[in-house]
Amino acid sequence: MEILGDQKIARLLTRRLWLLALSLYALMAVGELSAQGFREDQVKAAFIYNFAQFTEWPPDVFQQTNAPLFIGILGTNPFGEALEQTVRNEKVRGHPVLVKYCRTLAEAEKCHIVYISSSEAGSIEEIVADLKGKPILTVSDIENAAYRGVIIRLMTERNRVRFRINLEAARAARLTLSSKLVNLAHSIIGREKQ
Amino acid sequence: MTFLNKHFLWIGQRWNAGFRRTILAIFIGLAAPQGRICGQTNEPAQPTNELKRLSLEELMNIEVTTVSRRPEPWFTAPSAIQVLHGEDILRSGAVLLPDALRLAPNLQVAQVDSRQWAISARGFDNTLANKLQVMIDGRTVYTPLFAGVFWEVQDVMLEDLDRIEVVSGPGGTLWGANAVNGVINVISKIAKDTQGGLISAGGGTFLQDYAAARYGGMLSTNVYYRVYGKYFDHDNALLPNGIDSTNSWRFGQGGFRLDWLPAQGDLATIQFNVYGASIEQPTPGNTTANGQNLLGRWTHSTGIASDLTLQFYWDRTYRDIPNSFTEDLNTYDLDFQHSFPAGARQQITWGGGYRLMVDHVKNSPGLAFLPPDRNLQLFSGFLQDEIFLVRDRLTVTFGTKLEHNDFSGFEVQPSSRIAWTPNEQQTIWGAISRAVRSPSRIDTDLYFPNPSSLPPGAPPTIAGGPNFDSEKLLAYELGYRIRPVPRLTLSLAGFYNNYDDIRSLSTNALSNNSFVIANANRAEEWGAELSGIWQATDWWRLRGGYTFLHKQTYVKPGGSDLNRGRAEGNDPEHQFVLQSMLDLPGRVQFDVTLRYVDTLPAPNVPSYFTADARLGWQPIRNLELSIVGQNLVDSQHAEFGSPVTRQEIPRSVFGKVTWRF
Repeated sequence: MEILGDQKIARLLTRRLWLLALSLYALMAVGELSAQGFREDQVKAAFIYNFAQFTEWPPDVFQQTNAPLFIGILGTNPFGEALEQTVRNEKVRGHPVLVKYCRTLAEAEKCHIVYISSSEAGSIEEIVADLKGKPILTVSDIENAAYRGVIIRLMTERNRVRFRINLEAARAARLTLSSKLVNLAHSIIGREKQ
Repeated sequence: MTFLNKHFLWIGQRWNAGFRRTILAIFIGLAAPQGRICGQTNEPAQPTNELKRLSLEELMNIEVTTVSRRPEPWFTAPSAIQVLHGEDILRSGAVLLPDALRLAPNLQVAQVDSRQWAISARGFDNTLANKLQVMIDGRTVYTPLFAGVFWEVQDVMLEDLDRIEVVSGPGGTLWGANAVNGVINVISKIAKDTQGGLISAGGGTFLQDYAAARYGGMLSTNVYYRVYGKYFDHDNALLPNGIDSTNSWRFGQGGFRLDWLPAQGDLATIQFNVYGASIEQPTPGNTTANGQNLLGRWTHSTGIASDLTLQFYWDRTYRDIPNSFTEDLNTYDLDFQHSFPAGARQQITWGGGYRLMVDHVKNSPGLAFLPPDRNLQLFSGFLQDEIFLVRDRLTVTFGTKLEHNDFSGFEVQPSSRIAWTPNEQQTIWGAISRAVRSPSRIDTDLYFPNPSSLPPGAPPTIAGGPNFDSEKLLAYELGYRIRPVPRLTLSLAGFYNNYDDIRSLSTNALSNNSFVIANANRAEEWGAELSGIWQATDWWRLRGGYTFLHKQTYVKPGGSDLNRGRAEGNDPEHQFVLQSMLDLPGRVQFDVTLRYVDTLPAPNVPSYFTADARLGWQPIRNLELSIVGQNLVDSQHAEFGSPVTRQEIPRSVFGKVTWRF
């Protein structure tokens, strides 16, 4: 009788332990889910690819209908392989999208989108002045970038990526940003009176 | 499996609306734990492709991780660099800088007594170790007396520390005269990142009383400051029979840092520190030391990927060891560095510096530095070209340093390095470098008088080093870093070092009873350093490493050395360190550091294994209570020195309260 009782207790305990282990794992998995997410740079890379789709360049920019659309990274590359992976084999209105790593302004000037890396925070005025008026969509996550003349500022708010658009700068660059993009912006600088 | 699927579906539904996002959540949630169990999680390449299929609205709902899993910048560096983060150091329970350095698996650290340490990289370790370059916030802490560091007066406010970069192997091209076997670069946070107050106090058995305070504020827009002060007193080390020796000591330090950020990319810094120490000595009285230093540095970005740094510092150190010597040293140092891209594939870094060391020594009957007063000048310039053969993949670096010192004249220290990063998870690097340990006063100016038993006029026992030349190293290194899964980084560095003209105590042609300091030794070394960082879970972090070092010294043909090449360092063949940092529920932290050091050969010091442990608790957000045990395994153990004179380090405990406001 006693042995049987022990076995019962043991079985009961085993079942409890099993449950405990299961719930512990579930708990860990929840922690894992909330911690896993996507890396900021992966999401920002996807945003940049989206910007390409919602921007119209002046007709004289692309000499041929299948000429590549260059996304330039000016300064330290924060994306690793994420941006290249995002645009690999992708076309925007027939233009294959290519990533270019720029170490000089002259190289950046040949691109259609220029991402100004935060490593260039010190020279942002100079970069903006140089690229101003050229048909280049400038994107940056440097503080106050949009106020300093960059067309799209990427920012992270409460772990979500947001963007601010400087419409005046876009107009100066002769770029047409789709109304969908403008409507989704966190805020707009230089909006025309509606 | 069914359970899990249901579980994640539920989470997905609750957190996001829309079916695609739910699927995404399931995907992310399941992929990670599964991958980890199989041990084959890679960079989430799949999700990147997944992301671009999402609409802008959907993208805006994606939560991004705040913890970067990206390799840190050093991951692709072509040298054996390891980084100790401020957080890791605090969690080890370290209070003194040398305690913190024990966490670097590529350093040899031995505590000699209560206040002396022998610290080196890649061997040649003793209290007068002379092949390491140590910098604290850009200031080289170096005495030209023996080309080494008085460790007991090198202190920082550990709470304000950003990181310590430890490079083993030569860093001569950029780092200066002493970076033969390694570089230690102690970097504190800028004042902007240490705003607010902090008071910390505690006490214990070996470190007896401890108090530290810091306050950081803003003077005006873009001008930040902090002031700090700390004090401790430290008990004696023990003699092998367990009796207290006589070397308890007290130390106090204070200072301020001012940072001005006039524009993005520009930073102007002024730092001032002052310290004083009193070290008990049975006869003829206490050793005293004090120092003051002032540093100004301006970093200005001059364009894309280019910047200019200008730095000046003054550093005074004073030390009085009664009946031995008194040294008063003033160092004035001016440096600049300019880095800029040359075309699309090259980055040029060049710079120069001038250092004046005004050294006054008061000699004693027992030993003398002759002449007692010297003004030493050091001119240096360097040029480095990084060539990006394949962008983000293959980089070669050529560089050289050219310097002129008062002892050995011009010295050239070239190096060439290559780093290949086949993908984001791996780096393979190699380097060949020449480095030089330039002479110091102990090599050329040191005299020991002859014993009185000899007739007057006999040559001194040690008669300086009239012909001492620099020690040279040719180093070959090969390294590999891998991040097999995002949370694990492993580094392996192998090296072969060939030294020539290593210091010796050679017979003096004048007399059998007299010796001169010469360069009659050479040495060979090979070894490997393995280290790793594993963020096992979000609440458990492990780091550590193992170092193997084999050293062989030879007396050169035709030369002689009284010590047969064995006085230049006493190094273990094997050593390992493992640090575990565990966050427990209820804001409790439990941290353990284990370390093993193999036998030292000459003089013999037994191998030891010991452990430090720390228990920390934050009952409220601003308050932290912690209790730390150091060297817990044995009641006392020796780490350095000959059996006759050596001192041992006791097991010890201390408690600490830290309040932030």
